[in-house]
Formats: sequence, C-alpha cells, structure tokens
Amino acid sequence: MKKALVLLGCPEAPSQNPMAVYSVYKLTSLGYQVTVASTPSALKLLEVSDPEEFYVKNKIDIETCLENLEEGSFDLLVGFVHKDAAVSYFVTFYHILNTNSIAVVFEKDPELLENYVESITGSTNATIVSARAYHNPTPIRVKFDRALKKLED
Amino acid sequence: MTFCLETYLQESENYEILISRAGFKDCIEVIEDHAPETIHVKPGEKILGVRIIGIPPITIGIDEKKGTITLPYTKPCYGTAVVELPVDKEEIVNIKALDIKE
Repeated sequence: MKKALVLLGCPEAPSQNPMAVYSVYKLTSLGYQVTVASTPSALKLLEVSDPEEFYVKNKIDIETCLENLEEGSFDLLVGFVHKDAAVSYFVTFYHILNTNSIAVVFEKDPELLENYVESITGSTNATIVSARAYHNPTPIRVKFDRALKKLED
Repeated sequence: MTFCLETYLQESENYEILISRAGFKDCIEVIEDHAPETIHVKPGEKILGVRIIGIPPITIGIDEKKGTITLPYTKPCYGTAVVELPVDKEEIVNIKALDIKE
C-alpha cells in the first residue's frame, strides 16, 4: 500500500484543520495509508474534529516523526504551509524523504504568500498549491483537488 | 551520554539567543554576520542530536577561538531562532565534516 505523510504547521490558521481532515479523506480514497504529523496543539484539533478516527487513523508528533524520518519512509508528502517555520519544515521533510511532494501554501497576505512560494520553488521540485486564504478553505481545496488529479494522471 | 541540543537548551543557561521568533532568511544573515567562520549543511542533518531544519544550504557558524557554534533552531509555532552555544573541539570537527562545500 502506498504511504502518504500529511505535515501540518502551527494550527493558528483556521483553514488548516478542515483541510487536514479533507486531505486525509482524499488520499485515503486514492489508496494511500495516511499518517498526519503535527504539533500537539494541531493534534488536539484533529482529535476533536474526528473523535472516532473515522478519517485520521494514524497520527504522530512532528518532532518524533522528523527524528525517525528516512528516505523511502513515505511515497507522498503533503505539507501545509502558512508560516515561515512551515516552509522550513516542509523543505526539510522534502529533502529527507526525496519523494513526490505537494506544498499547500496559503496566506491572507499576498506578499507573504509569494515569499513562501518562492522559498519552496527555489529549494524543491515539489508541486505547489497556493491560495490567498485564511478562514475559507474552499480555494485551497479546489486547487488541492486539481493537484491530486494531476498526480494520479 | 550523547549531547542533545533540546535537553541542553532546557537545562542550561550557558547559551546565547541572538534572534528569536524570526524568519529563516533573517536568521541566516545573523549567523553570517556573527560567526568568524561558516559551513553549510543539508536540511535534516543531525547536529548535537537534533535535525537541522531549514532551506538549503543551511549556514552554521563556527567560532573555534570561543569554542562555540551558532545555528538556526526552528519550531512550528515560534519561527526560527539563532542559538550560539559552547561545544567541545571534537564536536566542532564532527560538524565541519558535514559541510557540503558550496
């Protein structure tokens, strides 16, 4: 079975948690075994959103995941990026895993959004999904679906 | 016992934070301005027991005279900080061996 890692950033942005659940749902439906790596606070949001683990079955602390990560551990990396630190984490996970990767970049400030996208473009070959978004996950979801479709074609 | 940066920062006061809650690029500039010698490493390399997080090539500062290294330290919700801390000579040799020599 193909394995995907969904990497969450700081849970401050409201769109991240619904997009995390949605991405796990989509990737599972595409045949991936999905693990979500996150901070303890982002994990709490997931646990409350999906109390019976209907969608999110495998969760791991981001630091523990990073510590034990090796090339080949996952077939796909999906990282949510809405802070400078999340850019650094995504790029680091990308370089360790050396596999197909999608960076889901979202920010309400267009300048910051552009900076994050440039940093990822300049240091990885990841597919980038970017949207000006904060509260509303729809623009991110639509572009994420398109990127997944491309990946599967 | 193996040196662990996480534990060291929690238990010791013998380190200096040069900048905190900053962007990664700003932190790299601080390291380059501060350290007399720099090397560059790949993201994910382990230094002092932790994986170094950032955008390659990641600059690590070395001050052999003071016996310190200066490195970026990133946490998801707090951004990146630059920490200068003392390390022994042997560790400096190990860290220099990670240089990707641009």
